[in-house]
Amino acid sequence: MNDDDTIGSGEHGDHAAAEYVLGVLSAAERRAAELRIEREPAFAAEVAFWEARLVGLADQVAPVTPPAEVWRRIEATLATPAPFVARAGLLQSLAFWRICAIGAAAVAAASLAALIYVAELPRAAAPLLARLDQPSGQPEFLAAANPADGSVTVVPAALLTGQQQRSYELWVIPPGGPPHSLGLVDPERPVKVVVPPELLPHVSAGSTLAITLEPPGGSPTGKPTGPVIANGKLASL
Amino acid sequence: MDAETKRRQLAAAIARVAGGDRAALRLVYAATSAKLFGVCLRILGDRSEAEDVLQEVYLTVWRKAARFDESVASPITWLVAITRNRAIDRLRSGAVARASVPIEAAGDIADAGPSAIERLEASDEHTRLDGCLEELETRQRAAIRAAVLDGLTYDELARRSEVPLGTMKSWIRRGLMKLRACLER
Repeated sequence: MNDDDTIGSGEHGDHAAAEYVLGVLSAAERRAAELRIEREPAFAAEVAFWEARLVGLADQVAPVTPPAEVWRRIEATLATPAPFVARAGLLQSLAFWRICAIGAAAVAAASLAALIYVAELPRAAAPLLARLDQPSGQPEFLAAANPADGSVTVVPAALLTGQQQRSYELWVIPPGGPPHSLGLVDPERPVKVVVPPELLPHVSAGSTLAITLEPPGGSPTGKPTGPVIANGKLASL
Repeated sequence: MDAETKRRQLAAAIARVAGGDRAALRLVYAATSAKLFGVCLRILGDRSEAEDVLQEVYLTVWRKAARFDESVASPITWLVAITRNRAIDRLRSGAVARASVPIEAAGDIADAGPSAIERLEASDEHTRLDGCLEELETRQRAAIRAAVLDGLTYDELARRSEVPLGTMKSWIRRGLMKLRACLER
């Protein structure tokens, strides 16, 4: 008797999800299962079903405190600056952006031109730009979204003072939808934010980018809790 | 602090990690690293490999926190799933000369009642799972437990139990079907 074929050969998909979660598959079979998780919602749901149940068995493994070295390595990796920040000398210069902020429309145009450089225009997908204005209409930040690498670069366009005890949090708000956090930005230098893949569709023309003041480290709730200090709509060039 | 409060705090911290909050990642690490390191060690059987994988796990959490969906998985389920996947991938890559976990170890764990072990999270699902596992044949239950805890392939499980590969696949697949029927009752 060949159990391999008689058991569930007609419904192998069900087994593959459970077997992926169990961990009995080979490396190649695991990659195939991961592709199906990305592409087949029913398969992903099946994996989630088994994870919610079988992972509980891992509770029977005794906890072991890892050496402090592990956290130091994690922190060191996170502290490595993003490649953009490391090489964009001019854009990092606060003075440059203060000069840009002195004028009004003409300066904004110059800043946008600089941001085209930031957004690495030659890439396949066209960048989107937004001028984030204060309620008074004064430009406060400039943002360039680069769909090619899934990033949004936010550059302060005005000299911001105070608020050192607060964090500046960037949000994307699709038309008619709720705000989604894109992470923290800095009022004194350009920051390149990597957009999580599932939020990328929201980073499109017509969506609003907004910056709120939040407690240090960002909103504790995942929703904006502080005042909006600047916002503007993304538009293609 | 009760389990529900811990779960909510962990979910809130992961939401903050999604916003790029390093302090929140530190909170997640403080709350879960011992549990996840235990899982890594159990699967990999090697301290230095387990440390590498644990580091990868939290960097994955940092990058993928926005993908965490509380309606799909509890925070600890999500974290343990990432950990097991990373550790198993490391095992399958062949990079680890697996320091084989003694067979008796699996027996010890299988015999230890869940009440004897610290639980990060006591959910209905876990209680149901324990009950449903009890309904399986002993060999099916032991094979499923060993797969989950040790990250063994069908082949390794078959050799460990000294049965043909097809027999091991049959045990586990039949066990999974029974388990599913019981869990859905």
